[in-house]
Amino acid sequence: MSAVIAEHDHHDDDHAHGPEKGLLRWIVTTNHKDIGTLYLVFALTMFFVGGAMAMVIRAELFEPGLQFVEPQFFNSMTTMHALVMVFGAVMPGFVGLANWMIPMMIGAPDMALPRMNNMSFWMLVAGVLLLASTLFMEGGAPASGWTLYPPLVLQTGKALPFAIFSVHLLGISSIMGAINIIATIFNMRAPGMTLMKMPLFVWTWLITAFLLIAVMPVFAGAVTMLLTDKFFETSFFNAAGGGDPVLYQHIFWFFGHPEVYIMILPTFGVASTIIPVFARKPLFGYSSMVYATASIAFLSFIVWAHHMFTVGMPIAGELYFMYATMLIAIPTGVKVFNWTATMWKGSMTFETPMLFSIAFVVLFTLGGFTGLMMSIAPSDFQYHDTYFIVAHFHYTLVPASVFILMAAGYYWLPKWTGHMYNEKIGQLHFWLSAVSVNILFFPQHFLGLAGMPRRIPDYAVQFADWNMISSIGGFIFGASQLLFLYIVIDTVRGGTGEKVSDEVWEDAHKHGLEWTLPSPAPYHTFTTPPTVIPTEHI
Amino acid sequence: MEKVGFAILLDVANEIKHTRVYNYYRRGCSVKNTKQLFAGLILMALGLGTAQADYTLNLMKGVTKVSHDVYDLHMLILWICVLIGVGVFGTMFYSIYHHRKSKGHTAAQFHENTTVEIIWTIIPTLILVGMAIPATKTLMELDDVQDSEMSIKVTGWQWKWEYDYLDNGIHFFSSLDEASNKARQVGSGIDPRSVPHYLLNVDKPLVIPTKKKIRFVFTAADVLHSWWVPDLGWKKDAIPGFINESWTSVDKPGTYRGQCTELCGKDHGFMPIVVVAMDQPEYDAWVKKIKDEAQKGADLSDQGHDELISKGAGVYAKNCSTCHLPDGKGVPGAFPAITGSAVVKGDINAQTTLVLNGKGGMPAFGKMLKADELAQVITYTRNALGNAVGDEIQPKAIQELLPNKSAAPASKPEAKATAPEKIEPIADMATEALVALGKTVYEGNCASCHQAEGQGMAPMFPALTGSAVVKGDMNAQVNLMLNGKGMMPAFGHTLDAKEFAAVVTFTRNSLGNSVKDAIQPSAIQKLQAALPPAQDDE
Repeated sequence: MSAVIAEHDHHDDDHAHGPEKGLLRWIVTTNHKDIGTLYLVFALTMFFVGGAMAMVIRAELFEPGLQFVEPQFFNSMTTMHALVMVFGAVMPGFVGLANWMIPMMIGAPDMALPRMNNMSFWMLVAGVLLLASTLFMEGGAPASGWTLYPPLVLQTGKALPFAIFSVHLLGISSIMGAINIIATIFNMRAPGMTLMKMPLFVWTWLITAFLLIAVMPVFAGAVTMLLTDKFFETSFFNAAGGGDPVLYQHIFWFFGHPEVYIMILPTFGVASTIIPVFARKPLFGYSSMVYATASIAFLSFIVWAHHMFTVGMPIAGELYFMYATMLIAIPTGVKVFNWTATMWKGSMTFETPMLFSIAFVVLFTLGGFTGLMMSIAPSDFQYHDTYFIVAHFHYTLVPASVFILMAAGYYWLPKWTGHMYNEKIGQLHFWLSAVSVNILFFPQHFLGLAGMPRRIPDYAVQFADWNMISSIGGFIFGASQLLFLYIVIDTVRGGTGEKVSDEVWEDAHKHGLEWTLPSPAPYHTFTTPPTVIPTEHI
Repeated sequence: MEKVGFAILLDVANEIKHTRVYNYYRRGCSVKNTKQLFAGLILMALGLGTAQADYTLNLMKGVTKVSHDVYDLHMLILWICVLIGVGVFGTMFYSIYHHRKSKGHTAAQFHENTTVEIIWTIIPTLILVGMAIPATKTLMELDDVQDSEMSIKVTGWQWKWEYDYLDNGIHFFSSLDEASNKARQVGSGIDPRSVPHYLLNVDKPLVIPTKKKIRFVFTAADVLHSWWVPDLGWKKDAIPGFINESWTSVDKPGTYRGQCTELCGKDHGFMPIVVVAMDQPEYDAWVKKIKDEAQKGADLSDQGHDELISKGAGVYAKNCSTCHLPDGKGVPGAFPAITGSAVVKGDINAQTTLVLNGKGGMPAFGKMLKADELAQVITYTRNALGNAVGDEIQPKAIQELLPNKSAAPASKPEAKATAPEKIEPIADMATEALVALGKTVYEGNCASCHQAEGQGMAPMFPALTGSAVVKGDMNAQVNLMLNGKGMMPAFGHTLDAKEFAAVVTFTRNSLGNSVKDAIQPSAIQKLQAALPPAQDDE
């Protein structure tokens, strides 16, 4: 932990408005740091809720035969695990980071629309609570997979309209958050902070925000059509009435594919922020990183049907979606090469944020490889809807998005709290997570290739060994995350007791404006814009 | 009587149990010893298997040309990914080892290199083109269902498969075998390892001849399903209201197992697929056996009250207990209880109508069960499971209500076998006469969709002028018109043989086409005689 005290000459003296006293502070706050904290705490809570559901799933799959839960409840668990993790943990996690860091990174005093910021957080809470409440309804929580495909989803019990309304709330919350981020980035940058000088985290969030605005309404439309099919006699997805169940899949994945990039683009941004600091080098290929992010975002709109290679598309459709999907490998490859080149000939140290970032680059690339394999339509006829797919998208979500959320936590906690986390426990958390995540997900490749379909509560006995190994990995991974919870609480309450400098990490002030602020960051920052723009990151 | 047919199948299956695939599943059951597990772990550490990869690690090669092509594609791309991975990760780990601060490495400050960036964009592009070429070839091969020698219609149900042999009228349902079904109940106390082919065995497998190009058409009765036998090399979704096609040709006799791969509700994990491929003589013997049995039909003699109830318990356990539960309590919000149900305690004829024709999620059992089984199960529900209505219904009364008044609704009626002899073959007609008659038939039956000049209406209704179907194999066209496809209705029962032959000949020799062939009404007569009864197509 080598942190050098750097000079910083613009402490903010304007602390006229402190936070409200007591609990009310967290309910009525419009401060970007408070709202960021709310988002992050909420995301961490949901990470454990969704994680508990994953533990139920892995416990049932530990051995062949049904030991603990009925198949219907198992299906509810896979569905809710996905929805909670996507909409409750990963997305809010990155929105929390955006709230905390974007104003501090671009030299703005707050988000552009602070009241809306408060509203989008509390709508998220309402949406997720409504979704969770379906677990206790007659007929159980939705059990048709997070994709909510009709006609199966229409067999949901009382929960269906509540789940749909919850999706509407989550959608409105995300759209408001995205508008806020775009407005902030376009209007509130400090003088001299041109677009091409922004840290990559800000860039990736700008692009992500546009994706959100473009696709959340599409999802809302799709689920609304489900609602009218169920309750108002329409037949959008009912063949008997002239509709088409596959139409839903097209609409869903037009949302769904950009959605998975909504979870990965900010991940790229954080990795591109952390790696240069610990390699003590500028990021390699800043502008190609920006263009690659934009290309990936564009491609995400025109590849959706690769999730549907087996629905019986005409050959022209299959070929088009196969070729378009393969193209994604090019900008993604550029990013991986750039991160590698950033490390090359650096002067690296391996604190916990760097460890998580390196693991991200390696394991996300593995997920990218399987993604490339799946883009090949004839091979996908074998992989589709098997554990191979489960392994693929968990590699791109857990050791990618989740690891990077952890990395961001370790990286910025000292700035947020003014305290240093316990590096030893942090590294222990990293090694336990990195090893167990592979024990958890790598065998799932074998299971899928050997013929185990996804979303099944019980399996043929030749799948038993790898399932047991995978479950053991899952339990270790789940338990290891309690260390993270401990570290966060410990750091907030004082951590190692070591006094952290303003820049925290060696020469970090060259990489980002947030490291020119005091630690912990005061309640109000950059009430007057900064004059010197760090450029080491470009 | 179905059991007799199945016993024959088991005999055949036993004879071929030394085939590779059979052994694969047996071996799968026994991968329990630690040595193999250890070897697997080492393989895992080495990456995704070796050239002699174990089946539980890698994709299975399968038994068709297509599955071999898919396997080769899979291996090609896997090795490309391994090579790229070795290059990228090798560079990264070299850098991590050598370019670290603790070794005194000072950071270089380069941050871009246009040449390198262009190279690592172009080389991946070329690799992708190299992958796309074989992938396209395999995809086109798989898409070509032309020149098939027989067709099987596969219908997905919650939670069983229905098979219709379109060429010889064989028809049956195939569901999870009894041993697996008992063992898979929560807390059954039965070790799945003691059940042969646990969850991968059915009561009646799909039997196909070897070395024949078999076309499959897929549809579903309730929700989405997906039909996957890994050894055949593909899966295809079964979609209610729509028809999908695929084909296979198996060279080697054997038993090939698979599962439903599209989440279809609570018992998605419990609707396996078993395909038994037999050489032609064995297959012919099987066909004869099944047809002989079908002619025996249902036992329509009156049965005593208690006999009806005791036999009904077995029918209930096999067909109803999945949803309504073994104790008749149902699942609130999803599946109504039988115990105390107003339907069961009400008018017996109303209940019978509901059971025969289905309602909402409840399938129409009129086409699945025989009259005696229906009488037994209806009587059972009214006098057991906590109900005591005290009445009964006899098989004869049910028979009167069945739309197809033959003795065996689940298989071909006797009349079918003798039909071609009774019908006087229609005399051959000249091509010109057929075309002239065909024009009138076309205007009355086809022109509203395909348009008067055969130009169709894109994208809903394909043009007939220049159509690949019309210009291709005549048998394929006739098959399509007999059975319908997608929105195209099945004309097999709508047109008489003369009209049918005329309109086929007309489309091939008019509307801008000149294939210069003709089909005679007598040929159509034969095909129509083999069609499933009209109500099956609705």
